[in-house]
Parts: sequence; structure tokens; C-alpha cells
Amino acid sequence: MLLPRLLLGRLMPAVGRTYWLTEPCRIRREDNSVRIERPDGSPVRIPITDIRDLVVFDHVDVNTSALSLLSRNGVTVHILDHYGNHAGHFSPAESMSSATVVRRQVEITADEEQRLAVARSLVLATAENLRWALDTDLLDSALEALKGALPECRSNDAIMGQEGNFRRTAWAVLDSRLPPWLRMNGRTRRPPTNAGNAFVSYLNALVYARVLTALRSTPLHPAIGFLHADTDRRRNTLALDLAEPFKPLFAERLLRRAASQKHLKESDFETDVGRASLSKDGRKKIAALVREELATTVHHRGLKRKVSYEELMHLEALKVVRFCLEGTPYKPFRPWW
Amino acid sequence: MYDTAVERNPKVLKTCRKYLHWTQRSVFQGELSAAQYRALMAALGTVIDPEYDSIVTYTARSPEMVESATLGVALGGPGDIL
Repeated sequence: MLLPRLLLGRLMPAVGRTYWLTEPCRIRREDNSVRIERPDGSPVRIPITDIRDLVVFDHVDVNTSALSLLSRNGVTVHILDHYGNHAGHFSPAESMSSATVVRRQVEITADEEQRLAVARSLVLATAENLRWALDTDLLDSALEALKGALPECRSNDAIMGQEGNFRRTAWAVLDSRLPPWLRMNGRTRRPPTNAGNAFVSYLNALVYARVLTALRSTPLHPAIGFLHADTDRRRNTLALDLAEPFKPLFAERLLRRAASQKHLKESDFETDVGRASLSKDGRKKIAALVREELATTVHHRGLKRKVSYEELMHLEALKVVRFCLEGTPYKPFRPWW
Repeated sequence: MYDTAVERNPKVLKTCRKYLHWTQRSVFQGELSAAQYRALMAALGTVIDPEYDSIVTYTARSPEMVESATLGVALGGPGDIL
């Protein structure tokens, strides 16, 4: 069963775009619309009806009257810190809520069998997607090992551990195809120690932000998830879970592409001893790269129409809704093209 | 694009800014859904004097079908990386 068209229309606004604020600026309200003031003095006025969300990369001032206007128009503001970690977001007062969905979500995630089954399939999908993104057969044996080990895992930690093993192998393979200055040499976070890691951190934070936006348009509670540990407060576990299968599609794939097309330069990064982040131009470049990537469309066999990568995340959130309401088994995203 | 009496210009400008990107003096462009277009037209209808003012809209079926070229200064436009 497909969701009624009416609901889909409400979830994905037909118009409305993501705006990327890559420079220090000020967000102000003017005539019930938005004015962005930039340091070079020229204000840019954005039509409020055209904003779906704002992604903020840099120092941005915003005041309460602007926030209340954004909230009224259903705009989410994502804030990324200097290293590209997701620092937080401002989201409009809840517009989609349904007790039935949330109740079922809690029931399903509380049931260990169901939760672990979904967690396993998420990890497996992520691994398959990673292999697909790197387009290599060097990972076949690691993938087989993962497939063998997953059914034995009786806890989330064990599953995450298996995923970690696979990812380390995959990153080593990825490193072998990158120029020396872009190599990751093991994943490091908070802060990323080198350019490759800074890039991956940035992209992962963006994917997470997009998934969170998608979840906000469904009644699902973003903190009740399947795979990641949720003992820690202040975590949107479900958003982290659903971001997993999409990360290879963006982070690893774009890193490979940017390296092979020589799109990124060393000057796009600010490297210090033991830490790295993107420079101003680097941020702009990556924003443009990701924006194009999100707008890329593929033909969806079920819907018989083209969907953008952005919309794939929304469909993913809807799949979880249907899993909760109708019990249709949830199959995590895999690229079919 | 609008051509209105001077005293009504600011009102028209502010109404358009809510829905569209300012591209040139008295010219706006942007993507609207059918409902948003109707809302904009209704809002403009209350602002202008239908005896004197005139507003012309051009609608394209899809954003891909529009090609525009600029001579001289590009005053503004619908950029989304700021």
C-alpha cells in the first residue's frame, strides 16, 4: 500500500529550497520575509515561502522575531560547527504528531528481536552501500565475514562492533585510491585530524541534518531508534540510524569522486597539527557539491517516477512509518541503479 | 514585473518579496506552487489600483524550460548558497 498522495504532498513541499549560509551573516525579519545581511554590505532578501530549511556553516546572528517567523513557516535551521559536526538545530513547533505511530515505534524498538533484526539489516545495507560506493571487489571477503558474523550478534554493541570492523577495512581500501594529502589513515573525529576526515565529517553531518529534516515531516520520534545506543540522552538515535545507509552514497562516494576529478585542492582545507577543517572556499565548494548531489534524480520503480536523492531520505522515513503502522518489513535503502 | 504608481510601489515590492526572488527593479522571479501563485495574485490584487496599475506575470511549465541571459550588472537573483 502506498501512502495517500495528499500526505506525500504535505511531506515534501513542491517548492521550497535549502539555503546554505556559508559566510558569516545576520538573519533578520523584514516585511514578514527574510533578509540576510552579509559582511560585504549587500543584503539578500529571500522569499519566506521558498525556504524549506537553512544550513548554517558559519557565525550567524539570528533574533527571536526572525525565529518566530521561520517557525511559523515551517523552516528548520541546522547549525554546523567549525569542524562540520552537527551542533544543533532549530525546528518549528511540532506540526506532525500522531500518538499511534509513536506508540508503535516504542513497542517495536522495545522488543529485542525486532529491534536487533532491523539493526542487523541497517548495518548490512550500510556495508553493501559502502561496497557499491567504492565500486570494488576488494571488500567481498570482508562483506562475507560480516554476513556470517551478524546473525551471531545478540546485542547492539556487538552489531556496531562488526560494523566498525567492516568500515575500517573499507576505509583502508578507500585510502588506497586517494592522493596522499587526502588520505584518512583511520577515522578520527572531534576534531578530524586530516583533510579526508574533515570532508567525511562534514558530509556525514549534512546527511544527518537531511535525515532529521525528513523525520520532522513524519510523526516518528527521532530519538527512538534501532541500532545506535540510546542510553545517552540528547541523541536522535533514529536519525543516526537512518543516516547510516545514506552516508556511503554521499561521504565516501563524493570523496572518491572529488579526488579523482581533482575537484578539491589542499587550499580548500585549513590543516593544523592534529586537526583539520574546511576553509571558506572549501565550504562553498562542498555546499555546491552536496546541493547538486541532493538534486540528482533516479527513476523509482515503485513510484514509477523520478525521485531525487533528497526525496529518498523522505521515503526512508515513510518506510519506517509504514513498518510501525502496517508491519510491512522495513528494508533499508540500497541503491538499485 | 510590475508597473505601478510610485506611492504603491513599496507595498507591491514587499508582497512580492515574500514569494519571489528580486532580480531587478520591479522584476521578480522564482518557483511557486499553484496555490502559492494564487495566494500571491490575491495579495497583489488587494494592493494595487486596478484602474491604474499593471502587473504582468510569465509562467513556465518547469524551471528547466527557462533560459535567461544578463547584459551588464547582475543585480540579484535566486542564488541559494550565500
